[in-house]
Amino acid sequence: MTENRGLKFESPTFGERIKGMLGVDLYRLFHTPLFYIFLAIAAIIPAMVSAMTMLPDQSGQKMEPLYSNVWQIIAATKTLYVIEGIADYANMNMVFIFGGIMVSIFIGHDYKSGYVKQLFTTHAKKQDYMISKSLVCAFAMACMCVSYFIGGTAGGLLAGYETDVNIGSLIVAIFGKMIMSLGWASLYTFLNVIFRRYFGISVASSFFFGTGILIIGAAAIVESLSLPTGFLNIFLYGASVNANLASGIGSLLICIPVSVTWAVIYNVAGTWLLNKCDVY
Amino acid sequence: MNAVEIKNLSKSFGPKMAVCGLDMTVPMGAIYGFIGENGSGKSTTEKMICGLIPTSGGSIKLYGKDYTDESVRARMGVLIEAPGCFPGLTVWDNMMLQAENLSVPNAEQEVIKVLKTVRMEGAAGNKYKNCSLGMKQRVGIAMALLGDPTLLVLDEPLNGLDADGMRIMREVFTDIIKDGQHSIIVSSHLLGELQKVATHYGIIRHGKMLVEMTAEELDASCRTYVALHSGDANKTKMLLGCKYSRVEEDEAGYIRVYDLTTPEEVVQYLYSNGICVTEIKTDKIGLEEYYIDLMKGGR
Repeated sequence: MTENRGLKFESPTFGERIKGMLGVDLYRLFHTPLFYIFLAIAAIIPAMVSAMTMLPDQSGQKMEPLYSNVWQIIAATKTLYVIEGIADYANMNMVFIFGGIMVSIFIGHDYKSGYVKQLFTTHAKKQDYMISKSLVCAFAMACMCVSYFIGGTAGGLLAGYETDVNIGSLIVAIFGKMIMSLGWASLYTFLNVIFRRYFGISVASSFFFGTGILIIGAAAIVESLSLPTGFLNIFLYGASVNANLASGIGSLLICIPVSVTWAVIYNVAGTWLLNKCDVY
Repeated sequence: MNAVEIKNLSKSFGPKMAVCGLDMTVPMGAIYGFIGENGSGKSTTEKMICGLIPTSGGSIKLYGKDYTDESVRARMGVLIEAPGCFPGLTVWDNMMLQAENLSVPNAEQEVIKVLKTVRMEGAAGNKYKNCSLGMKQRVGIAMALLGDPTLLVLDEPLNGLDADGMRIMREVFTDIIKDGQHSIIVSSHLLGELQKVATHYGIIRHGKMLVEMTAEELDASCRTYVALHSGDANKTKMLLGCKYSRVEEDEAGYIRVYDLTTPEEVVQYLYSNGICVTEIKTDKIGLEEYYIDLMKGGR
């Protein structure tokens, strides 16, 4: 603390700053319809996908089931860098796409409302902003994973899929996806900081990266060249597909460092960008 | 020590220089009227002071510390363009969020206090998006007042306020600087209102500070004039124009003579030419006219 002619200037600690900012972001998350709409989407989409594939088609014949087991709605049966069918992708990975759009809207409101202006003119640091957004959005995406699990399970059970599963792998798969939410949320926060003035581009870029389009392309190249696919695990999408119904604890050992490392990278990059560019 | 000390500040947006070698000093305890045309660099300068845009050169010191120092930033209150509020939340919620951000102790009491200050306590439950322009402006000022800021930077805070709102703001501003430690930078195009409260002025043009002065210095440098009404305005103007170098008719219909002269001399001259003066007074030009003169390069 310094004192100038009776005026006291105290530097708030990192803990004080981040506590305030997290408090605000969590309050906003729980007090705006956006979060609940996306929770509902995360629950309804898998339920609809699983239930609709069991409905008879126009000729009255039953459609080819998309899944053979309820839990395939949650995660793929094995590690698949390149998807072989829509069912391989239509699992909890979809939360990363919904989450991307949610993060874009959440952060877009910061800029649209002028809240960031209010924030950065005071003691708030750019790194606090990145950390707070990443953590809160990761939390929201983790909640969406739970919502997806409930919706997907309910839909699968109603559709009459089989329920055989290795419980341990299922739990690891769900936890793995939730852990990966941190890395994905940080990526989306970073993207939204880059395109902060262009809401439409923010949403589009989140959707584009959320589908893991780049890594799917990279994986396709790797596979066509018969290269080892293991190094793809260092990317968010690669690590995310490691959390599947064949997972063991080793999958979490991939997910945790990859998610945390990318979260740090995106936070540092976002902080640098905000420090260098006009905030508002 | 000054509240704000800016030396050789510059900011460019691509090839365009928005602020160019600006020097500015805001003493502690001052209400600093920051004046300039649209696009003169006022808002850019304010945004740099507030840390919203990085500088291209020069230095900004707040209370003797670099402007990025978080300890001084923690004591800043800002209203730039429009308040940063979430439209779907209530005024109260928005205020509480800002209090949370600032880690304001006794947040509820503090929010009630600042809402009372701007006479918005009755509208705390209104959704921000349903507030009128004037109410939004008051909320913005209330938000800037949270956490006992030592430096307030207010960009066009009087916009949208009714006469009562402006009076309240004048009272708030003068109250804040009473202790001689708090300072306010106010930019406004409502120069008449600004003149009622400002203790210091800075006039900016094309990104450069044209002049900085105290209210006393402004008063001393504002020229006096003789203003009159007569039965025949056109003939009066013509006659006065023959004798004096600068004669103008103002919005109220008064004919003004700016040269150093006395009312007696003017009355006598017009009387000798058959003109009867019905009303005459001496006055000083205000900030607005001083500013217009300055912009025209007339001074």
